[in-house]
Amino acid sequence: MAENKKHKPKILILATISGGYAGADSVGQLHTDYPTNTYILPVLCPCIFPEEFYLRCFEQGIDAILVMYSGTDSPYKGGPERTAVMINQTYPLMKERGIDTRRLRLAAICTVCTKPFLKEVTQMDTLLKGIGFVRDEMTIPEAVQ
Amino acid sequence: MSESTNPKKKEEKDEEVRIGVYTCYCGGNISDAVDCEHVKKVMTDLPNVVVSRTDMSMCSDAGQALIEKDIKEKGINRVIVGACAPSLHEQTFRGTVARAGLNPYLYHHVGLREQDSWVSHGDYRGATCKALNLMTAGVAKTRLLAPLEPIRLEAEKHALVIGGGVAGLRTALDTARRGIQVTLIEKSPFLGGRMAQLGKVFPTDEDACATLDKLIQKVASHPKVTIFTQAEVTGVSGYVGDYQIKILQQSRGINNDIAEAVLDADMPKVPDAFNYGLTERKVIYKAYPGCYPPTPAVDWAHYNGEPIIVNGQPTIFYNKPKNFDLKVGAIVVATGFKPYEPRAGEYGYKELPEVVTLPQLIRYLELDKTTRTLTWAGRAVNDIALIHCVGSRDTEGVHEPQADGQVNNYCSRVCCTATLHMANELRERFPDTNIYDFYEDIRTYGRGHETYYQKALEGMVRFLRYRGIERPEVVAAPEGDTHPVLVRAKDSLSQGEEMEVAADLVVLAVGMMPTQVDELVQMLKISRGVDRFLAEVHPKLRPVETAVNGVILAGTAQGPMTIQESVAAASAAAVKVAVLLGQGEVQLDPFVAYVDPEKCDGNGACIEVCKYEDAIKMETVTINGKDVKRAVVTPANCAGCGGCVSACPNRAIDIQGWTLDQYDAMVDAIALDLWDLMEVPA
Repeated sequence: MAENKKHKPKILILATISGGYAGADSVGQLHTDYPTNTYILPVLCPCIFPEEFYLRCFEQGIDAILVMYSGTDSPYKGGPERTAVMINQTYPLMKERGIDTRRLRLAAICTVCTKPFLKEVTQMDTLLKGIGFVRDEMTIPEAVQ
Repeated sequence: MSESTNPKKKEEKDEEVRIGVYTCYCGGNISDAVDCEHVKKVMTDLPNVVVSRTDMSMCSDAGQALIEKDIKEKGINRVIVGACAPSLHEQTFRGTVARAGLNPYLYHHVGLREQDSWVSHGDYRGATCKALNLMTAGVAKTRLLAPLEPIRLEAEKHALVIGGGVAGLRTALDTARRGIQVTLIEKSPFLGGRMAQLGKVFPTDEDACATLDKLIQKVASHPKVTIFTQAEVTGVSGYVGDYQIKILQQSRGINNDIAEAVLDADMPKVPDAFNYGLTERKVIYKAYPGCYPPTPAVDWAHYNGEPIIVNGQPTIFYNKPKNFDLKVGAIVVATGFKPYEPRAGEYGYKELPEVVTLPQLIRYLELDKTTRTLTWAGRAVNDIALIHCVGSRDTEGVHEPQADGQVNNYCSRVCCTATLHMANELRERFPDTNIYDFYEDIRTYGRGHETYYQKALEGMVRFLRYRGIERPEVVAAPEGDTHPVLVRAKDSLSQGEEMEVAADLVVLAVGMMPTQVDELVQMLKISRGVDRFLAEVHPKLRPVETAVNGVILAGTAQGPMTIQESVAAASAAAVKVAVLLGQGEVQLDPFVAYVDPEKCDGNGACIEVCKYEDAIKMETVTINGKDVKRAVVTPANCAGCGGCVSACPNRAIDIQGWTLDQYDAMVDAIALDLWDLMEVPA
């Protein structure tokens, strides 16, 4: 895909309502700016997402995914552990497709974790400035061809 | 609802999806950074969107009426609003659509304020383009919304109040008076909290303990209130209407038959925390005369297990903690505050004996209410310096952090009036003293509080105003000086002149700090604000409520407050409890798993990963004349985490209201390059 100068790589943030989403609201209440190429979707617990979900996001043109879960503060039994399992299982599948695994990151963000939230977003944005759009690096695995 | 089925089946198959999209200006909070009119225009062209509007304030009566009118007159059957955070107004708009006859779960909320306009200053195009993607994603989800019914569960008409200070006591009494059973637990052996440590309190100048005693007697004698002192929460599970609480209670250690004799016995002494270490008390003690419960308690942290001679008999006291369980429908957190403890050397604290905190001076004066001669550290006090804002309004990078690395940048609000109240008391009781008040700003914001400032002015209290970045300096006076301490400050009331006041006593007006309740916060899954006090959802829209349904705040656990404000918050908390539990039934969002029996092949992967007992089970059902195994969800036991969803290879199980299809649709919309639709000026 030819690079559109106006278009920036997109960061999807899957943020738990009990943690990262409220943390993002706290950042907003502080009126602290961060890049506009960030799109936050609320989730009850990201353990709902299978590996295919993340792969599909990349295929659709999402350039990076930050999963902001509640870590040990999660109200869901086993949710954080399963989220970690699903993400760990996604990494080799990303590699198969030539996707830089740094594009998918799991971070524990609490309701008042404003600095960690900004740090995660800034780091991912900086990374994307270096590695660019996901579509430019994706390959179709042989098994799929 | 005993069993959950695919909500799509509940839809009328031929129903045309007609979406109303509403983009809120939020009085400029959103429209200053996002071109809301452009968002409205772009939304109009999306499939299924019948109407797209903007409004200065969608949450206003007029804004909500607009939505209701569209539902009734234009046949809108799905609604999406882009506005402030969902935590603030999602419920409001669900109520709006319900009033117009629509299922409340056919509503979707997009946060455009906290997550776009407030974090995108100076990038009008970027913020507007982001809003377009977020709203388009919202519309994509809205298209797939299905009507849902809330889960209705029987609620325990029983509330747990954590904290036996004035806020907890008031909450307990007001809740019990509404017919709800209350269990009040207090970590320390005595009720009363911080208020019991005060003398006369503003704005009425009533005696704190006398006022408190009346309240305690009413609470203790109420048939619907049970009190446990020396008790704390060790475990919480369940949800609104049905919380299971584990309590650990330490023994009191003293039988009533020796209650009086034991106080006369010789035994080790420790610094008395009630008097902020100014005095000592015995390891078996009463917090103060007239305290409740009246039976003394053993201080287990300091009692060494050695026999104490009581009535001539050597007696050993044993702590036999007991654990017990409670079932409650709601929890009120009234864990209070602690006064800021200055670090050693801060304004000479702990280095100069003549430097004390305001709470210490209050206790000191309470210990001898009749004296008309003020002495401190063995010498008469003629000159007193009061310093405001100690441990409050600090700036990171400017002021030195506390021992825990934190900087209190908030105003504790109460200390200005408390300091002026003290200045007036000193003036009345010790008329010959000279009183100097070093302040940054005077914030006597409460009704009647300004009177104390006026009275202090009339009473010849001398005010010196310092700047926040040039706070007063407290140093030891040179040997042979007439006073032990010197306070230096640049007085902006005298055009920045360097002033030096020789003082016999320096009083630090310390701010309020949140109580250490880390474990409780984790157990309850409630939030803290950036000031580290417990956070309510919204100060105006959902006061005293936390984001966790059924967990409510009362008093200074949520921030600095006067007694008057604490009591008002406590009464508000009691009303919230009554509203929640009064009907004996609570409604939960139906965001739980459901199974599509046509896709389910009975492989059981969902059951393997589920951590909730009896949430999913395999049942034999007959399909096309064949008996087959299919997963079945029991909604009341399902937490809605979605672990089962990622485990199912057939996408046969999903979470109502948060389906994978809905996420896929939102992702597709976010991935769209909408930059070309931007027509707004850069």
